[in-house]
Amino acid sequence: MDAQTAENTVNTVLGPVPAQELGVVAVHEALLSVVPGAEYAFDVTIDRAEIFETLAEKLKDFRGHGGGTIVDSTGMFHGRDVRLYEALSRTTGVHIVASTGQGPEEMLGGYFLTPQTNPPTPWPAEKFADLFTKEVTEGMVVPRVERRGAAGLVVTAATLAGMTATDESLFRGAARAALSTGVPVSIRFGNDAVRDLEVILDEKLPADRVVVGGLDRKDAVAVGAPLEVARRGAYVAIDHVGTEDERHLGDKERVALVAQLVEAGFGERILLSSSATGVAKGHDGNDMPYSYVLSTFAPLLKAQGLSDEDVQRILVDNPRELLSVR
Amino acid sequence: MPRVNTVLGPIPAEELGLVAVHEHIGYGMPGSELDTKWWKTPEQRYDETVPKLRRFHEYGGGTFVDATGICNGRDIDYYQSLSEKTGVHIVASTGFVGGDTALPFFARASVEYLAEHFIHEITVGIGDTGGKAGIIKVGVSRGGRMTDLDKRIYRAAARASKATGVGILTHLAIDAENAIAIFNEEGLPLDRVLFGHVDDGVNADKTRDTWIAEQGGRIGFDTFGYETELPDPPFWARPRKERLDHFLRFISGEGRIKQVLASADANCSPLGWPGVKGHTVNYIFEDLIPDLRAAGLDETAIKTIFVDNPADFLSIKN
Repeated sequence: MDAQTAENTVNTVLGPVPAQELGVVAVHEALLSVVPGAEYAFDVTIDRAEIFETLAEKLKDFRGHGGGTIVDSTGMFHGRDVRLYEALSRTTGVHIVASTGQGPEEMLGGYFLTPQTNPPTPWPAEKFADLFTKEVTEGMVVPRVERRGAAGLVVTAATLAGMTATDESLFRGAARAALSTGVPVSIRFGNDAVRDLEVILDEKLPADRVVVGGLDRKDAVAVGAPLEVARRGAYVAIDHVGTEDERHLGDKERVALVAQLVEAGFGERILLSSSATGVAKGHDGNDMPYSYVLSTFAPLLKAQGLSDEDVQRILVDNPRELLSVR
Repeated sequence: MPRVNTVLGPIPAEELGLVAVHEHIGYGMPGSELDTKWWKTPEQRYDETVPKLRRFHEYGGGTFVDATGICNGRDIDYYQSLSEKTGVHIVASTGFVGGDTALPFFARASVEYLAEHFIHEITVGIGDTGGKAGIIKVGVSRGGRMTDLDKRIYRAAARASKATGVGILTHLAIDAENAIAIFNEEGLPLDRVLFGHVDDGVNADKTRDTWIAEQGGRIGFDTFGYETELPDPPFWARPRKERLDHFLRFISGEGRIKQVLASADANCSPLGWPGVKGHTVNYIFEDLIPDLRAAGLDETAIKTIFVDNPADFLSIKN
């Protein structure tokens, strides 16, 4: 560890924390996940006390299995509740990193897509950059009330059928916000992981400030995207660990993918997470414990022959480097 | 007896008085709440809003219909406090200003779910405020044609209107053939629909106001006051005389005065846009009614437009 690493900090909802203290990090999870608009639905109840209890239980389980830090990768418009996360972090001792950003296009409010101008031109990259940057430098918005805490990363996503023009503005805005603030960018790609990563890199953001999520999707693996993303120098997030469905690899294949990446010399670029949804409103969510990687997947990796050092690097060192504000 | 849902509970239609039928306490596009450039303190919001409502009441205004959709900063408990403190009846909307102001949860929803949601807000209440919607808002997204989502919302609104007896208020009356086809398919009498913004500067030329009236729809000249003569007019502004002449020409048709409603579509305290300085709901009293009198309308005609027609439209029909 060099002197620089020792001084690095990470933005958590309770303020900057020395990067050394993060411990095991789950880099792509959701705490409270609300489909935009669901908060207004007649049959959706938002009981904050109940939500707190559920999340606290899950965070304690994560900590009980050796977890240190949860990254809430839902961005600024999908249920993020900074005040609740502060209380959760204080109560459970788990560090919580909250995110700014939004996307894909379908998830945006009309304010960004059909503004009250003639013609109603969607927001350009520069305006998204400003919106996201301020969530790092001035604090995350509690809509129409206040700003609280600094966002620890910028997240965005492209439309599954392929990146739209507005998605591209979101990606470029996210990259610019990361460049100007020093926090990383986490992207979920549309139909081409490498192409979508290139949009971020085109903004001159160093590749080691970017994590590409969803790389355990079958379509990405089929075209060799995980290796190619690693070759470009970005982080490869295998972030549906535990999910067994049509779209994703199963855990057995995930283990093989991790081993393959380590073998190819990219052990420093791998991240693991489960995309678990602590509490979901307005959608089914992914009811998986945050501890799954630690309790179930890490032993599979070791059984596959990965060393303790390799696993430690993936679960602790890599996310620490990624999340450190530069 | 006919009754009307206000945010503080049902009232007899006889008590509505003069109605401003298409207004906003505060409107913002969904997502604008994330942009701090528009944020106002509660002090500022009350400070901008209360004097306008008080003046409205002093002028003889009875009821303020808030046409703000579910995701546009609609704020029922705030309206309840404003109504209680100023004495102005406030009618709130369920529904959406247009498909492009419905957030993803609703944009993905089925017609059946949307109808169920609207009916709940009309018959049970909005959130846990106890306030019930008195009108269903629908509208045409930017672009001039009804989108598939717009159509789903119109169909759900028609079903909710039939089920509950409250009326439908539209944002824009362009592409009315599609709208009327949906209402006809759902068996909704067109006098339960107020086709709004027929006088809007961008769309007036494309709006078949007399044709809609012939089909039995009610017609809303409800952007009065958005004038090109303003120092900083919005893009939907229109020359004052042109709009007034349009209105007078419309009501000169046989029986049409029974189908017309008028309002100013002003924001008391805008939420996600700068608003238009100097334009308030009180344009109705300070400019519009004097203009109508000057044009020769008598008090009976003015009562028809601002009292009787809205009372008939807002009354729950079931």
